[in-house]
Amino acid sequence: MMARTELEEPLATGMEAVLIVSLLLLASIPLILAYTTLILTSFADTIVSNPWVHFHFTIDNWIAFFRGELSTTRARIYTTSQILWMIGNTIIVAAGVALVVLAGSITSAYAYSRMKYRWRMGALKLLLLLHAFPGVALIVGVYTLYYYTLVKYVSLQHRLLYSFVFVIFARASLELPMSIWILKGFFDRVPWELEWAVIVDGGSRWTALRHAMLPLVKPGIAAVAIFAFLAGWEDLIYVMVFLPPQAKTLATFIEGQLAGGSLESSYLPILAAAGTLYLLPTILFFVFTQRLLMETMSGGVKG
Amino acid sequence: MRAKILALLLVAALIAAPLAVPLARAQEQPPELTGNWQQDVIALGKWFQAHGVTKIHFSVQAAGDPNSVMRMYGIVEAANRINKVWADNGINVKITVDTYWESDFKKQFDNFVTQYDLGQNGDFFVNSYIYIATLAADGRLLDITEWVQKYWNSVFSDFYAPLMKAAQYKGKYYGIPQDTEARPLYIRKDVAKCMGWDLTGLAEKVKKGEFTWADVFLKAKEAKEKGCADWGLIHRRGSAHPDLIQFIFAYGGKLYDNKTGKLVVDKTAIYKWFATEAAFADAGLLPRNILDWDWATQIHPTIVGESKAKGGTGNTLFDIGGTWYWTEWQTKDYYLDPHTHQKRPLTPEEVKEKFYYTLFPAGEKGDKPVTLSQPFMWMIAANTGKDNPHYNDPAYKKAYEELAFLIVVAASDPVINAVHSIISAHVPVRKQASALLKNKTFINNLVNLKLPFSQQVIDAIAPIVKKTANPINIEFLANVSYMLDYTHLAPSHPYYNKLADIFKDALDKVLKGEMKPADAVNYVVQKVKADPDLKDNTEIIGEIPAHWSLVPQATTTTSPAAGTQGTATTSPAQAQTTTGKKGGGHTGLIIGTIVLIIIIIAAWLAVRGKGQ
Repeated sequence: MMARTELEEPLATGMEAVLIVSLLLLASIPLILAYTTLILTSFADTIVSNPWVHFHFTIDNWIAFFRGELSTTRARIYTTSQILWMIGNTIIVAAGVALVVLAGSITSAYAYSRMKYRWRMGALKLLLLLHAFPGVALIVGVYTLYYYTLVKYVSLQHRLLYSFVFVIFARASLELPMSIWILKGFFDRVPWELEWAVIVDGGSRWTALRHAMLPLVKPGIAAVAIFAFLAGWEDLIYVMVFLPPQAKTLATFIEGQLAGGSLESSYLPILAAAGTLYLLPTILFFVFTQRLLMETMSGGVKG
Repeated sequence: MRAKILALLLVAALIAAPLAVPLARAQEQPPELTGNWQQDVIALGKWFQAHGVTKIHFSVQAAGDPNSVMRMYGIVEAANRINKVWADNGINVKITVDTYWESDFKKQFDNFVTQYDLGQNGDFFVNSYIYIATLAADGRLLDITEWVQKYWNSVFSDFYAPLMKAAQYKGKYYGIPQDTEARPLYIRKDVAKCMGWDLTGLAEKVKKGEFTWADVFLKAKEAKEKGCADWGLIHRRGSAHPDLIQFIFAYGGKLYDNKTGKLVVDKTAIYKWFATEAAFADAGLLPRNILDWDWATQIHPTIVGESKAKGGTGNTLFDIGGTWYWTEWQTKDYYLDPHTHQKRPLTPEEVKEKFYYTLFPAGEKGDKPVTLSQPFMWMIAANTGKDNPHYNDPAYKKAYEELAFLIVVAASDPVINAVHSIISAHVPVRKQASALLKNKTFINNLVNLKLPFSQQVIDAIAPIVKKTANPINIEFLANVSYMLDYTHLAPSHPYYNKLADIFKDALDKVLKGEMKPADAVNYVVQKVKADPDLKDNTEIIGEIPAHWSLVPQATTTTSPAAGTQGTATTSPAQAQTTTGKKGGGHTGLIIGTIVLIIIIIAAWLAVRGKGQ
């Protein structure tokens, strides 16, 4: 059994622990209820408001969703391939954002951590400022850029591809500042001697980064990748503004079913199936990477 | 000599070349449309084949309730038919159509506008006619006037004239009617029975203008007083357009001046509209916050439900609704079953048993009953064909435009229109389609899915047909078709939506008791004058009537049209002076004054005491 050091926070015991857990559970009730209702409804023949009374298990909603039959009358609004493309588009955007963020943040964070140059601290502070800008506030400027580049330089045939590339880079740019800060914290914790050894052996900075540094900051990279992937997966505003109607993602699809006066025309159990599917990556990531994320939050960021 | 001949030939070639280019281009032009669909399709197909186009891609953006999927599958079916004609004639060209659906048609309009500027819009845009003016004025729609005229005798003369008119902007056609609807006044038969009201012949009385909104008010009041209904009247939420602007037409007003092309604020009719709704709200017959109600959990459950006294979701005697409600009530869980305590849809038999329907009654004696249609249109984007080869060549561009028009002509086929009407509870836009609703062979074929449609379309609509193609529903659609003779259209004007939003704000204030009807009319006028767009595009006519009230100012009123002993009632003006809100306001003022006087006296005494 490990002995607890004096510096460690003492563990709550007895009634104190019960009280804390109870309070936490109480605070989580709305969240737990909302997600439980959503998931149960996706497997029920009606909206589940009381699972002990109303719940009749069925996978009909999932079948209807993948067939594109979204109403009570099972009107086929989408084809199966359109639904699959919708999921595919969501993955493309999320994975694209993750890749761009990783490429940008690894190289930048390394430079901020290891290289000394003028205005380094100023640039770091500026990064924090950039992170403080909400994406919505930037959208007018980003749209103007999008509009002029698209209309002036992109042929009609290539506009769909360009829209994807643009939305990935635009969304990634919002995630970059914080990701750089997180990764910089991880790089800072790697002893300088390791990298120095590679350089003394004739290796370049690039070699040092690849062979000495990256293996040691893998948890940080994983955390940044997950955060970036989820940011892309969950994004609504940027994909709604920049992707054309033929390139819906799960987020814009669900929003479309709920927006305006259309909620009453939707069959909610089918929509719940879509919502559960949309939720899946988030749940999976948090279940399997809890420890990693805690580590990132508690020790990853150092100035 | 030889050199001279060569030089002459060279000069001749140089002179002939510029002349030859237009000649060659003239030969490349696609064939002109003739008005014969089969012939035009074949000629155009051959032209595409001769010019190396074998695959043509279009996309359709449609919107609305999911039961209206024929708005996009109509285009798919039309393209399939053209493909078949080409295949049968050995033409190796094929059209593919991508479909995009949006539930909210307003949002789809916004999307279309944004996407058009980016070249990412659909080729076909199926949406309300109200957007024609805006889109046409901005050059986003294809002017199809020339081709409509060529196809007038063979196709478009069969369409209801007011609907074809709605497809115009400044005298030119920018759309083809796809579907329309009427907005009946629904009356609950069980509530009428409870209050001892025989509805027989009421629709005729409404048609003749004998049963007016004063009678609606009196009957609603009677229903509530006898405990038969929780509410007297229920109507839409969120907007005055389109259901509630029927009041303007029912009171003999207008919203648009054809001569000047301007919107009209008819103060007299708008006052009567607001005063009518105020009378209902003040008498507790219409929820004051009806514009904030929710469709799925409040409005429809109250229209179809049982009274709260019986453990239901509440009920009403009258509802201002639309023809599509008829099937909506059969497909959605609005009805709280008193036996099972579960929400469920009504059966077609239950809907028929529960609801009587008439035109929207005349405002007053001498006015006419009305209904309002908001036809959806097939519209062709001005950049249609943009995703296809050689689009930038004017000849190819014209060919794609002609093909898009021929697709819309095919999509306007009576069978497609009749099927759409039945499964979505809309009213047909052309007479041949209306006739099909009474054709037993057609109905049998529809029920058994023996339709002249491609398998792709049959598969897509089969589940809806099974749920909606019911003789009761088809009979209902046939019965309400006459309402199109009384139909009005909201103005197809770029600024109409702005005006409708102002109406909504004013009406909300009237219903909530924050403004008197006269103040609300003045509010509308002020708002119109303050808006630079509306100011220059709106005429303000009429005056607020001085002593008008919905029900004559007598303590006992007889409802002549209903032919039953009237109920004691007060005029809206009187009702306003006796409502708790108004009385409460005076009481508050008196109490406030007394409290203020007491405080002043107390303060004076305290200061005096301190001084001593």
